[in-house]
Amino acid sequence: MVQINYRAEVIPEKCTGCVDCVFVCPTLAIKMEARKAVIDESKCVACQNCIGICGDDAIVKLERAEPMERHVDYQSVDQERVLEICKRANIHPMQWLCLCTATRAREGAAAILNGATTPEDMALATGTRSGCTVYCAMMSMRLLKAAGVNLPPAFKWHLFDTTQTLWDVPQDVIDKYSDYFLVEDKDVFRKF
Amino acid sequence: MLDVTKLKKARPSYIRKSMYGPATETGLPAMRAADLPGMVALPVQSLFPDIPKAIYIEGDNLAPIRKATEAALAGVDMSKIKPDSSVNILTSQYGFMIMGGFAYREMVRTIKEIVEQRTGCTNIRLRIATGFRLKEPEEIIEHYGLAEMFDGKVSPALYIDRAVAIETPIGKLMGIRKIYDADYIIHVHHGELRELDMHRMISRTMKPFSMSYARFETRSVHHMNFGPRSSNLIPRLIFESPFVQEKFTFGVFLAASPQGVVGVEAGNDLMPIDRRLMLLAFKSYGKIRELYNEIKDCVCVMDGTGEPRYMVGGGTTFGNLLEAELDLFDLDTVPISLGFGLYQPPPTQPKLKAVNPAIRAMVMNHFWIGVPQLELATACPMVLVGEEMFKLVKEDCMNIEMSKHVVTAESLPAAVHFAKKVAQTDKVIVFDGAYGAITCSEALADHLIKRAPEVSRRVEEEMMPKWLRQRGLDPSEAL
Repeated sequence: MVQINYRAEVIPEKCTGCVDCVFVCPTLAIKMEARKAVIDESKCVACQNCIGICGDDAIVKLERAEPMERHVDYQSVDQERVLEICKRANIHPMQWLCLCTATRAREGAAAILNGATTPEDMALATGTRSGCTVYCAMMSMRLLKAAGVNLPPAFKWHLFDTTQTLWDVPQDVIDKYSDYFLVEDKDVFRKF
Repeated sequence: MLDVTKLKKARPSYIRKSMYGPATETGLPAMRAADLPGMVALPVQSLFPDIPKAIYIEGDNLAPIRKATEAALAGVDMSKIKPDSSVNILTSQYGFMIMGGFAYREMVRTIKEIVEQRTGCTNIRLRIATGFRLKEPEEIIEHYGLAEMFDGKVSPALYIDRAVAIETPIGKLMGIRKIYDADYIIHVHHGELRELDMHRMISRTMKPFSMSYARFETRSVHHMNFGPRSSNLIPRLIFESPFVQEKFTFGVFLAASPQGVVGVEAGNDLMPIDRRLMLLAFKSYGKIRELYNEIKDCVCVMDGTGEPRYMVGGGTTFGNLLEAELDLFDLDTVPISLGFGLYQPPPTQPKLKAVNPAIRAMVMNHFWIGVPQLELATACPMVLVGEEMFKLVKEDCMNIEMSKHVVTAESLPAAVHFAKKVAQTDKVIVFDGAYGAITCSEALADHLIKRAPEVSRRVEEEMMPKWLRQRGLDPSEAL
């Protein structure tokens, strides 16, 4: 269970309408209305990317009246299919999907089986991307692609589909950079 | 043998105020751990006389830094840069944490002035990259007067900001546009050991190209999608890309040992610098790391600037004590890593926990949030000092479960007293940013003094020869 106690709010008088915050929000919770940023509270996971990028200090963190809770019960879906998605993604089901919220990959796979088709859907279902927003984005993209989802082109610079893994390195690169343990680390992954 | 009762009082590094630290009245802790009764400064030099000596330590005059930078740049070719070129000097937040940050600042200033003098170029801008603390570059700019130094041409480079695609042999990877938005770049980093579990001294000089200078997708490719050794190919592929090579001019590195800043390395070719910094790391940190492996029980006190993993004690980051039971210079060793999801160690490795079991308790007197680090609180008892520290942890979005795994004490002495009781040890080590000496309790100092000779022998005769052979170097010639 991920409990989100905060939310971001725009101070309209300070907002200059630069739109920087729109493209860094992991759940696409920010829209522009009359040249001012407006945050959809129901989608805000309080990651603070918008606060961090805002050069005008026009966004602040506020405590929610009631915490927003997010959780996916991985046992509520077909376990074979959870395993299959994780396997195709070369991710162990018990690996962290998100370190900040202590969410496992199996919960991400379950979110997909429950209907999530984008990294934003996954974030809103599981509560991930409410911390650093970084590592869980990658894991979400890998799980979605393993489930056969085609990721859409990036919305400006919101999120780019670049998910190269050890398993995608071409043989000529492996041969050229033999002192980088590409084969050996793959072996460790396999055993793991 | 050293007499612990005659050791001097420790001199911790000063703490920089930040919005990422506890909101105490002063922004600083009420008491420093060095001021606790029975704490001493154990000189690194007395343990290992062969660790490279410092030309600068916090508080010293900065002239040796300027002189070393000038000397290092003397042999660097700057002919790519023309008077009408635009140049970005690329820096990272961690450089400003080393010994208070003024050595790094002085190196940056010297580079700017020398480039201006030698090339006639005046459009030199400063870019400051960061980890997860998005406002930290703004704090750095203000604290170190960098806007004045660069006539306002200074900007944070955030990993969530606009991108530039970089073609590599494994496909497109994403850089931060602000890093590359000049004709040329100068790569200004440091050679401190910092996080050996990640970089393994493989392409160490290039790592910022897939971290500091990269968008978050590419940082994740590096950390999450590769193993702890193979991940270091990512920075090399980015660095060697035609896009980066066209812009790259030279690199400059603040070289460090546990003693302090030992010099400045610079060059147009990063590979020889990589080799020199690797050898320096073996000589500088090999013995300290192994000495930390001789600590079998201790209380760790966090009392400095930054996140715990990168806080310095005895001139060496806490991350190296966290992983001390693994010889991470040995390339056969595979640690628990982000790539493995921090879930369990790879088979055949002896380490079972993400945190060195010798760390029996932690006391958090002062640190910054801004990195996922829940495992610290779940793996060992953690005591926070003061309500402000608890509030900081409770509101930390990167560790939302952490506050459920900690207790709070009202003062540092109370916290340490409690932690020692829980840990059942009187060995205390402090990560307070100090170089040149380990801030620790007399009991730990006594233990370390006794273990140092055997550590020295083991590293010289058994470990270092293996590290060198693994990199194709002849131990009899390399050092």
